[in-house]
Amino acid sequence: MSTAVVDGKVLGGGVLGVEVAEGLRAILREPTALFFTVLFPVGMFALFASLFGNRPGPAGIPYAATMVATYGTYGVVSVMLTNPGIRTAEDRTTGWLRVKKVSGAPVGATVAAKVISALPYAVLVVLALAAVSLAVVGPVLGIGTALRLTAVLLLGSLPFALLSLAIGFVASPNATAAILSAVLFPMVIASGLWFPPEMLPPFVDGIAPVLPTYQLAQVALGQLTGADVTGNGLVLLLMTAVAGALAGWAYRNLRV
Amino acid sequence: MDEVPDEVLRVAGVSHRYRHVDALVGVELDVTPGECLALLGPNGAGKTTLIGLATGLLAVQSGEVRVCGRDPRKAVTRRHLGVVQQSMGFPRTERVAELVRGAAVRAGRPASAAGPVLTEVGITDLARRRAGKLSGGQQQRVALAMALVGDPDLLLLDEPTVGLDITARRAFWQTIAARRDAGVGIVLTTHIVEEAAAVADRVVVLHGGRVVAADTPAGLSALLPDRTITARTGLDDAALRALPAVLSVQRDDGGDGNRVRVTSNAPETVLRTWLADDPALADLRVEGAGLEQALIALTGNDEKIGVTA
Repeated sequence: MSTAVVDGKVLGGGVLGVEVAEGLRAILREPTALFFTVLFPVGMFALFASLFGNRPGPAGIPYAATMVATYGTYGVVSVMLTNPGIRTAEDRTTGWLRVKKVSGAPVGATVAAKVISALPYAVLVVLALAAVSLAVVGPVLGIGTALRLTAVLLLGSLPFALLSLAIGFVASPNATAAILSAVLFPMVIASGLWFPPEMLPPFVDGIAPVLPTYQLAQVALGQLTGADVTGNGLVLLLMTAVAGALAGWAYRNLRV
Repeated sequence: MDEVPDEVLRVAGVSHRYRHVDALVGVELDVTPGECLALLGPNGAGKTTLIGLATGLLAVQSGEVRVCGRDPRKAVTRRHLGVVQQSMGFPRTERVAELVRGAAVRAGRPASAAGPVLTEVGITDLARRRAGKLSGGQQQRVALAMALVGDPDLLLLDEPTVGLDITARRAFWQTIAARRDAGVGIVLTTHIVEEAAAVADRVVVLHGGRVVAADTPAGLSALLPDRTITARTGLDDAALRALPAVLSVQRDDGGDGNRVRVTSNAPETVLRTWLADDPALADLRVEGAGLEQALIALTGNDEKIGVTA
């Protein structure tokens, strides 16, 4: 694969491939951090699915199915919110991002690769949840629904990846990890991804709709219930635009 | 590769300011194809700022910087550059061959260009080793391979031989010399002044953001009129200090104590009187100042020369 230069501009097709491959290798060869990012949601899902999975949930759907959507949201968001930002912060502080920028490679390709290379691991979370669900409570999702759910979760993870990059562009790796964890866990809990919203204090009901995790979970649940989630999708789109603007601002002020 | 202009690097009237500090003031320099220019100066001299401008990492505030006739802020221009930085920050999980292949693709070359460069730099045995397992010297050689794999017209070497042993250093400079002979222009910053004196065609001395001298290493050394006279003598220190044009006297503690080092900026005047007054004068030798002494004199600073600003 090579990279073309057209009208004096470097096109990053070949570079993107190299960067994605580097990102995938980094996670494969040092999977510890991501291992917990995958293991934790899957482990929690296994526990709660074995306890409540066979009970009927909303719209007569087994609880295990709705939990695939909510824990899937949690798992995918967890991977996409933490991985690109922390790895970008690491590359920035070690000087590796500077080396790439000086090389003439489009830094945008490097940054996009951080997001793309995390996607397979987000898919892994969904597959692991589906497998555990199958083992614990039997088949609760049709193939079509499962594929649709996976696609929605991956697409819906974009604002989280953008937010992750925005933090990774400005903070140190340790600070990035701390900030993103501080953002992730309250959002996940308040959005009812760990526990059903009815188990949470009433004031949380007012907070949840402004959280992107809640909106993504609603869109994901809509794939099971058939509910109209256009409004949730639009809110998520707006949040993506805000996160994109934030990441764009941080990128333009990026110091390497 | 595009046609290379007469100058692979041109810095014309460049000034750069950080808040209240002038990092560069009206700097002028150029590097022609096949020329090695050493950039020397103490801490804060402005070398890192100059490298930052040449690599496009910093925007030019005033003046003009051109790499192969083009603006280094444009990514396509930076493909004419090969850069060895003090710290490359290699991801510890990447293997050497993967790093060099990646550098090839980023420079717009096929990944297969990595093989010959690994051989050229003498690191084929490291190809499968992960970056996290490399010594400092090995990392510098990998950095050189990455800099060369894009077939650059201009090499920027920032402290390139730190951590290299003598053999590796010699091999490093042989590789660089071959590229220079092939027409690649080189800008070098280094702590090791002897190294700069040995490999550079020209030396530019920066101090306080200004170019205070630019000449060949020999030309710079000649700027300093001081000479050191070493000899065996029958005169005592007081008599030696009384000789005309003597600046300092240092007696060699070893041996019989008759060996001295006398510095002067008019050695002929000293020697005329000394020869007349001292029948025991023997083993006479007169040496010029080295490049390091010249740099210290030029910058008024005896801290390590060549530390990037």
